[in-house]
Order: sequence, then structure tokens, then C-alpha cells
Amino acid sequence: MFGKGLVKGLQITWKEFWAPKLTVQYPEKQHTVPERFHGKFVLDVDKCIACGLCANACPNRVISLNKQKVGKKQYLTDYQMNIQYCLFCGLCVESCNKDALHFTKDFNMNQYFYKNIPLVLVRREAPAEPLEEPAMGGEDQPKPKLKPQAPKEEKVAKPAAPAAESEAAAGKEGQ
Amino acid sequence: MLRTQEYVLNFGPQHPSTHGVFQILLTLDGERIVKAEPICGYLHRGIEKLAEARTYTQVIPYTDRMDYLAAMLQNVGYVQAVEKLMGIEVPERAEYLRVISGELSRLTSHVLATGVYALDVGGFTGFLLCFREREKMMDLLEELTGSRMTLSYARIGGVADDVTEGWLDKLNKLMDEMPGYIEEYNGLITGNEIFQARTKFVGQLTPETCINYSLSGPVLRASGVNYDLRKAMPYGIYDRFDFEVPLGTNGDCFDRFYCRVLEMEQSVRIIKQAIEQIKEVDGPVMAKVPKVLKPPKGEVYHEIESSKGIIGYYIVSDGTNKPYRLHVRRPSFINLGYLDEMLRGYLIADVVAILGSIDIVLGEVDC
Amino acid sequence: MLENLFVGTADWLRSLLGGIGFLPTEIAESIVLLVKLVAVLVFILVNALWLVYMERKVAAFMQARIGPNRVGPWGLLQTTCDIGKLISKEIIIPKKADKVVFLLAPVLIFLPPLMVFAVLPLGKNMAALDLNIGVFYLLAIASLSTLFFFMGGWASNSKYSLLGAMRTVAQMVSYELPLVLSLLGVIMIVGSLNLSDIIAAQEHTWLIFTQPIAFLIFFIAAVAETNRCPFDLVEGESEIINGPYTEYGGMGFAMFFLAEYANIMVVCAMATIMFLGGWHAPFGLTFIPSWVWFFIKMYVLIFIVMQFRWTYPRIRIDQLMGFGWKVLVPLSLANIFVTGIGMYIYRAIGW
Repeated sequence: MFGKGLVKGLQITWKEFWAPKLTVQYPEKQHTVPERFHGKFVLDVDKCIACGLCANACPNRVISLNKQKVGKKQYLTDYQMNIQYCLFCGLCVESCNKDALHFTKDFNMNQYFYKNIPLVLVRREAPAEPLEEPAMGGEDQPKPKLKPQAPKEEKVAKPAAPAAESEAAAGKEGQ
Repeated sequence: MLRTQEYVLNFGPQHPSTHGVFQILLTLDGERIVKAEPICGYLHRGIEKLAEARTYTQVIPYTDRMDYLAAMLQNVGYVQAVEKLMGIEVPERAEYLRVISGELSRLTSHVLATGVYALDVGGFTGFLLCFREREKMMDLLEELTGSRMTLSYARIGGVADDVTEGWLDKLNKLMDEMPGYIEEYNGLITGNEIFQARTKFVGQLTPETCINYSLSGPVLRASGVNYDLRKAMPYGIYDRFDFEVPLGTNGDCFDRFYCRVLEMEQSVRIIKQAIEQIKEVDGPVMAKVPKVLKPPKGEVYHEIESSKGIIGYYIVSDGTNKPYRLHVRRPSFINLGYLDEMLRGYLIADVVAILGSIDIVLGEVDC
Repeated sequence: MLENLFVGTADWLRSLLGGIGFLPTEIAESIVLLVKLVAVLVFILVNALWLVYMERKVAAFMQARIGPNRVGPWGLLQTTCDIGKLISKEIIIPKKADKVVFLLAPVLIFLPPLMVFAVLPLGKNMAALDLNIGVFYLLAIASLSTLFFFMGGWASNSKYSLLGAMRTVAQMVSYELPLVLSLLGVIMIVGSLNLSDIIAAQEHTWLIFTQPIAFLIFFIAAVAETNRCPFDLVEGESEIINGPYTEYGGMGFAMFFLAEYANIMVVCAMATIMFLGGWHAPFGLTFIPSWVWFFIKMYVLIFIVMQFRWTYPRIRIDQLMGFGWKVLVPLSLANIFVTGIGMYIYRAIGW
């Protein structure tokens, strides 16, 4: 009969009128962000060996890193992400062999000024001379030039970044 | 002297119901359309060209950005093309995960298409109620892949990650609820007499026209042509699932719309079967692939059934780690091909109804 | 006591003015009338503001949202804030617009609802003016707002606006007819054009029970008159952006927007008076003041209009015209015919 669908529609909206609401009062309450969320990046400087695989894996050339040779090892001085071009695909995180680059759950990367958009993960100066391995022992004299996050990551010597041809890992092994 | 005059109405690109930045120059006689000239390209980003400067893996995030409503299907189409070219065997568990996330993507796309179509013909509540369910699916996709829309989940040789603990149960629960939601859409939108009056026998397409213009997806099937790649040429592991291909009879807006609603039910069926079957399958989700992918010289064309129609990837490899040429057969773009003839003789309100029923995504049209 | 709140206030004012002594009765009477009209104006504006809020809340609740909830308690001040924002906006006049008409339209748009409300009895003895041709006046004025929509649409010199304006006129012409014809049955039964008489005639039986079809036709036509969904082709935001108000921004738009709600109030008040017994209390619940009853009935109807909007898709222009001329007009004519026969039989039986 004509009009049956019209009445049915009214019934549904009437039912919905009394149904519980789904709105989340955002700034006060927040949804739980899942574990794998692709948010802001963090770099575990201690693990990073400045190999540059992440920069090569990036489809959009978002990552730029500078390193300096200190003694025999590469020392990461600058790690910057032009986050406005980031696709948040996660290829860089997957490419990292040392598990140094991670996503966090922080999704708010808003900046008021354009110049603040790039995400600077590391910016520091290289030490003048190589740190000795036992330097991490503790009672060694502090190097005046160093920033608080002292470079003690140079455990594994790694040659300079692979050539431009070398390609990032297609993905971590799933299991 | 008094006379009537045709005039040109600039429909879009800044128009609320062109589903993005799509422009149609309508030549109108009163409210009746004499001629329609679709103009696309406002969202052109040159993805095909960009791909030539990217390695094979790096192209994956760009495929997301074409049909961003069903990103997983785009991913799968591309990676399967590359796998075909390189002859990579994909682990079974990864195939199941591709099916599950792909069908979930199709569901999000179809739910959105349903809701947006309701909005196009003026029913706002249907739109938001559809978004409610889409939100739940996107939450699940987010938990699986880390992103909500641009998933980048498929990898050449598998998928990025295995499911998390309890994810399949959550998905199963949602799939159990889904028929109830679909019934609600049917009550609110499909069953509504005004909606039917607006959409029935509007913008009819004959099967011959559909085939001649190479239309695909729900637009084709609404005209009664039984051609769903998942059934016709099963790719991946689609031959293991039991589902039907919903067909329309009139090929009008209503059938196109209703085909999608029915396809949602079939997607739910597929996902449920896949959940059952994946529990038996264990193993890696990533095949052993070299770090640097260098497919052999040659070319490959692979097509899969996306939510909008048949999406095909044509890759020419010159033996290096970057594709020499990538071409994408985008269903939204090709489905628009018959728009002019479809619109002629209808009213302005029907423009919105017809355009909405094709279910275009401008990211894909303009690529 | 509450029952006579407003009537008492008017009487008090009248006696106060009379007490001054030197004022002639006519001037005192006209001052009272002026106060009444200002009260009506304030009443309409406050209600329009409230209705915008209510619409947003109703819409939200039907869509699993909670709607405005930030400004003021439960978001009650949201509309006020919006109006504040809109007032502070620049008035943009399109280059090729007809300036005078363009600016005049939003100013005049509030006139018809105001004029209509002047004669509506909102409670027992609560009509600002008690015209003896009330219904006639009501119908004449209520359709006037179309003119201002058309003015706005035409003067904007935009194709979308023009399409919307043309649709308004087409819609008004085809739906005014069933609207009037459906009221004819009521007038035949009551035998008077005076609104107070019509209400008085419904003391025992509301006319919706004797004239159900007429009520249905009236309500549908009224919804169409006010350009509400499913007949909101005039705005049709998914087709012609916003119809006549496409080019308006700031307060010009706000006026149109508020006028829409004022118009809804007018037609719902009309329906209440004509079919739902006006301010008469049902089931003998007379301890609630008459004007409260009037509002309850009116707001129930407004709620239904809102629910229509948030349930139904929009009808197409040719279907709209077809529905008006092929269904509503013949139906209302048949209703008049049946009413006439019924009345004749009743009289013949001698009830």
C-alpha cells in the first residue's frame, strides 16, 4: 500500500530519536587510539644507526637526515620530517632494521606557523672526537658540547647510507 | 519578442553534490537538460606519472589516494599486478587478510554510497545513520592497519601485519549486527515511496549500452549483466567463498542503489566465511621477497572488482626497481563516460540522482 | 490565575491608561494594540530562535548525535550566538544584483508571519485583533511571503537563485489551492470566517475528527507552503545550493532562515486553530491554561514537520506539481462535496 514506506521511515526516526547517542565530547573525552595508529613519529636515537633506510623507503621524500663521521662511526646530527608531505603509510617504520623509528598515538600535529610544521626528531651537534666504548660507564667526564641525549648508540658500525638505488624493505616479516 | 532561451548552468566544481570537485556544464531548457558536458580533472595529481619515479613498494600509498573510500581494494589490485609480474606466491593467511580487509573496505564504500545517495535525494538522516556504521568499520580498519581511510595495508608479497588479538571477534560481532543495520537503511531509504519515485526509471541504462561503454561494477550489474570479477574470473582466493552476485532488472538509479545494498549483504557473507576459514590457516603474512624489487622486463595487466567497478592496473617494467609506466583503469572515470546521454531530458534534480547513483570518487576519476 | 495572565496584563494596561484620564479612549486603545503587536513580534522572534535550536536538536537526536551543547546550558544560547555572528558579518551584494530589491527582500520577509500572528487567538480571548474575516485574511497574508522569496531570488541575478525563486512561485500557486479548498470544509461546518468562532465550534469535537482528510490535505499543503522537506525544492541544497538565498550572507540569510521558522509556526498555529481545537483543553484538563494547550498542540505539529524533514527525501519538481494538481486538488474538492452532502443529510435528519 502506498504510504507504508513513509510510515516505516517515521517509525525508524522516532526510534532513533530515543536511541542512545554516539557523540563523543571530543576535547574532554577521547576515543581510545589503537595500538597500531599511524600518528606522530618518534625516533629512538639510541638505536638509530643513521643508515638512511627510512629516508629511502619514503615515497614522498619526507625524511631528511644528516650525519657526520665521528671516528669510524656515523653520528646522526639531524633528523627532520617534513610532515606536511607525509602520507603516513608506515613504509619508513617498516624499513627500519633497528626498530628505532616508531609511530605514536599522538595525532595532533597542528602548528600555528608554517615553519613549525616540520617534525624535528633529532638536532644536535656531533662530538669532536669519538666516544670510547666504556665512556658509557658513567664516571667519565661529561662532554661539554653534547646535548643531554648523549650519543651512545654507536654500537654497530654501519657504512654510510646505501646508494640511492637500494630499496627499502618491502615490509617486515609479519610474524 | 518573447521567446524561450536555453541557458548554461555551471554545475560544480563548488557544488555540494558533485561528490567532490566535478564540473558539469548543463545546457538547460527551464529545468530540463538539453546537454551536459562533464569536466573532470580538478583533482588530478598525476599519480600515474608519480609512480614512475617511485619504487614498486612506494607506489602502494599512492594507490590509496585514488579511491580513498575503498583503499584496500586499490592496494590489492596493485600488489596483485606486481605479484603477477614477478611470480610471487602469497601466503594463504595474507590472502585471507586481503579478502577480509578488502571486503570491509567495500562495505565502507558501499555504506557511504548508500548514505550519500540518501543525501543526494534529500534525506539527511539516512546519510548520518550510514556514517554511524561506517565509523565502526573504520575503527576496525584502524585497529588492523593503523589508518582509517588510506590504509596502505597490502604489501607486495602479503600484507603489512597480522591481525591483532581479538580483532576477528570484534569484526564477527559487527558482521552479525550488519544485517540489522542494512534493514534499517532499507526501511529509511529504500522502502520510502518518495525515494522510489525519485529514482525508479530515472537514468536507465540498457545492458547493451553498459557493455558498449565498458561500464562496470554495480552500474553494470544493475542493468542485469552478470559480470562480477570475483565470480567470473576469481582472483586471489575468491573461489573459496560462497556468495551471490546481486543483479538489477531496470538499470535505473534505484537498481544501481539497491545493487549496492544487496552487495553489502554479500560482503558480510564473504567476511563471515573468511573469518571461519582463517582460523584454520596459520603462517606468515608475508612471502619471502627480496628487499629490492626488480621485476623482470615485461608488462602485466591485472584487474579486480573494486567497489566502484573493475579496477585494472597495467604495469610496464623495464627491469629496474621502478615501474616504467603505470596505467590504472579507473572504474569511476569510465563509468562516467555515458553521463551526457544519461542526463539528457531529465531535470536538474535528476542530475544529482543520476550522478550519485554512479557512485564516483573524484580521487579516482581524476587520478 | 495563569489562565488570564496575558489578558489580565492587557486589561491592567488599559485601566492604567484610562486612569491617566486625559487620554481619549481611542488613543489608549491604540497604545494597548501597539503593545500587543510588539508582544507578538517579540514572541515570534523568540520562538523562531527557539525553533532553530529545537530543529537542530531534533535532527541530531534522530541521527544519533546530541546536537548543539556547548554555548549556554545544553547549547540553548547557540542560536543567539549564531545570530550574533551573522550580524557581525559583511553584507555582500553581488555586483549585478538589483540592489534595492536585493536588500528589501530579507527586510520584508518577516512581515507576513507578523501580520498573521496579529489575528491568531493564542488562548482564550487572546487575539491581538479579532477580525471577523480572520480565515480570509490569514490565507491572503500567509501566501505573501512567496513574493519576498521571489524578490530575493530574482534580484540576486544568479541562476541558482532564479531557479529557486521560480520553484517557490510554482509551488505556492499549486499548493495554495488545496490549502484553501481544504479549509472550505471547516468553514462550511462552522459557518463563520472568524477564528474565534471556529475555535468555539470545536469545544466538544475537534474538527480533525469530522474533517480528517481536510486536515491531511491542509497539513501537506502547509508543509509545502513553508518549503519544508519533503517539499523543500526551493532550497534543495543538493540540487540548487540554497535556492533564493544562495547569494545572501550574514543577516540577510539569517532573516530568511528565521522567517522559515516563523512560517512553520504560522501554519502549525493555523492547523491548530482550524483542526485541533485551538486553545481548548482535551479530556477536560482545564487546569492547564488555554494558551499552554495552544502551544502544546502547535509544538506537536512543529515536531511532526521536523520529523518529516529528517526522515524523507526530497520530492522532484514535476512530482510536486503532479501531486498538487492531480491528487490534492481533486481530493480537497471531493472533500468539500462529501462535507456538503454530509451536512445536508445531517440537517435533513434534523440533528
